[in-house]
Amino acid sequence: MSHRLSRLVATTAAALVLAACGSDQKPASPAPGSSDSTAPVTLTFWGTYGNGGNRTQTDVLQKSLIPAFEAANPGVSVDYVDVPYDSFLQKLETSASGGQLPDLIRADLGWVPRFADDGALEPLDTAMPNFQKFADKTYPGSLATNKWEDHYYGLPLDTNTRVLISNPEALAKAGLSKPPKTIEELVAAGPKLAEQNVSVFADSGLQTWNVLPWIWSGGGSLTDEKLTTATGYLDSPETVAAVQMLVDLYQQQAIPNLITGNKGGTPTSDGLPKGSYATILDGPWMAGVWSGQYPDFEPTYSPMPEGKGGSISVVGGENIVLTAESPNKDAALKFIEFTQGEQFQLEMAATGQMPSVVGLGDAAAKKYPELAPFAEQLKTARSRPAVPDGSKIDTILNDALTQAFTGKASVKDALTEAAKQIDPLLSPSS
Amino acid sequence: MTVLDRPPVRASAPVPRTAARARRPRGAGLTPWLFLAPGMILFLAAIIYPMMQAFQMSLYDWKVLKGLSSEFLGFDNYRRAFDDPIFWRALVNSGVYMAITVPIQVVLGLLVAILLNRKAPARALFRVLFYLPVVTSWVVVSLMFKYLFADNGVINWALRDVTGLTDGNISWLGDRWTAMAAISVLGIWKGVGWSMMIFLAALQGVPRDLEESAAVDGAGALARFRAVTLPAIFPALAFVVVMLVIGGFNVFTSVLVMTDGGPAQQTQVLLTYMYQLAFADGEYGYGAAMAVLLTIAVFIISILQLRAFRGRMGSAT
Repeated sequence: MSHRLSRLVATTAAALVLAACGSDQKPASPAPGSSDSTAPVTLTFWGTYGNGGNRTQTDVLQKSLIPAFEAANPGVSVDYVDVPYDSFLQKLETSASGGQLPDLIRADLGWVPRFADDGALEPLDTAMPNFQKFADKTYPGSLATNKWEDHYYGLPLDTNTRVLISNPEALAKAGLSKPPKTIEELVAAGPKLAEQNVSVFADSGLQTWNVLPWIWSGGGSLTDEKLTTATGYLDSPETVAAVQMLVDLYQQQAIPNLITGNKGGTPTSDGLPKGSYATILDGPWMAGVWSGQYPDFEPTYSPMPEGKGGSISVVGGENIVLTAESPNKDAALKFIEFTQGEQFQLEMAATGQMPSVVGLGDAAAKKYPELAPFAEQLKTARSRPAVPDGSKIDTILNDALTQAFTGKASVKDALTEAAKQIDPLLSPSS
Repeated sequence: MTVLDRPPVRASAPVPRTAARARRPRGAGLTPWLFLAPGMILFLAAIIYPMMQAFQMSLYDWKVLKGLSSEFLGFDNYRRAFDDPIFWRALVNSGVYMAITVPIQVVLGLLVAILLNRKAPARALFRVLFYLPVVTSWVVVSLMFKYLFADNGVINWALRDVTGLTDGNISWLGDRWTAMAAISVLGIWKGVGWSMMIFLAALQGVPRDLEESAAVDGAGALARFRAVTLPAIFPALAFVVVMLVIGGFNVFTSVLVMTDGGPAQQTQVLLTYMYQLAFADGEYGYGAAMAVLLTIAVFIISILQLRAFRGRMGSAT
């Protein structure tokens, strides 16, 4: 019996191992403070360039950009490690707890305040003597995502936004020869398309990335400008009306239940080329996704449909950050400078990564016409709230809106309740 | 003879006996520890230490980074769990999954074991086929079932075009209970082979002569199963049930891959919710508190089960 009991303890304890992440390991790092310029330095750089098995970006980075940097900086080599996007945050968290972070991270915008708040990142505005010179050249919306409390912890590496991507054949079924220019046009096409089993719009969630373009373009907002409260903004009549418009379409079956979290639904990247969906909102990387699987598909790119608030989309992208524990800060700063230059930004633009440097963005849009609609949309695009608890805000919003979409709560009640839950996550810990 | 030659020595001091006695405990004192050490050290380092640390973590607003102060909260994380509707929903979902999958796995596993215990053509092949899902990766089979139960998946196609039972537009993974059903089907399909294997081993140990004499006495197949087979394999049955209940509460990969707890946390089970809290929201302390609660719950249930089974085993023999 005792034998079996001990086995029992062992098995049940496995559940606990999951939560036990604190380890006492110290990083096996090279000699600290090796600022001696003659000693060879290897920088480690983690990113998600190869997400989805797409090698075009990792190839440019590893075969062209990194060798160019290494040639210009003798004695410094860069070891790039590609991490799948879905497991990146978890890897960063566990590495941070074990003191095993790399020197440089290509971080999702939303993660910068979180890791900055944890003290894992080096404030670049103090560590980098010429920070302001580089910061001034970037898009303000992208730069803002690097700020937490009083410091900037990174520089934009690339940027993107979502525009309306349509399937012209599907739109034609509603008599539309062009993508809807306004939200009203899109709403009007909803029932006509639903009759023919085509969804006028599809999306795969109800997080800030998904719904903020509709809320902003409809004249609503998530919070006040200073990010102190959601109450009075997320539950304002304008926000409620913008969300109600989506809920009405959902209930007319003009938007599929993929948006409320049906993991068995047809993904937008399949539904649009197949003509099940007439429009989606997505980023510049989709062309690369379709070129392999649907080479004959010719989508139309157009601005986010206009509402009372204009045509406003959401800023995405990545920032480059330096970890506080990096023993190679001098060399790492040189690499950060390199990423802000023309060679890095334009070679990445060729793979669908929009430059985050304003002048180079325009140059890239001229050189690669497919980026032009995104560069245009970026001029008005806004960034999501840059707070450490961004992922919790996403969960709260997603769950509240799912209730409203599935008819379990009114839009007004759902948003009021969500605003109440989001408020304490906003006011900075003082 | 030599012993008899030395009576005085023995009388004054029984040297050989005490020496032997003194030597044996000393040797025996070290040897078992040496044998225990490797497993024990591993057990302490890999199980007990993390357990203790998880408990410690559960009392704090735990920050993962070294050098950051974690705020001591006492039992606030536990209080928070009791007021958290998602925790309760996750508990119910884990319980429902356990309640559906365990009995079916036991019954089907036993049935298949009995069938495959007989002499039949290609018996080994069938044993392998039933066991195959057990050794296949959870992630692979979860992805497979996700596609089977997708809106345009094989299940809907079969329901519509083959059997005509429905019009084939059920969003299996888009609703709490249909999604739990799909996840349970996967759990059963993947688990039957394991209980089959344990039962097969136990069935080899059923006394042949008892079965034969029962048959001679005129007992039918069902009566023989009840009176001879079942008591003989009862310890295996108890083992299977206890292990499956623990496994049921620890369901994780299939839920993470098939629904990720969605839509809107409706299919969250304890482990996926814990995972989300810790790794997506950074709530390590709260996640750890939930892990401790789950461990206590599983531990109590397991002890109760063992008690109950021990009672039955006592009366059966």
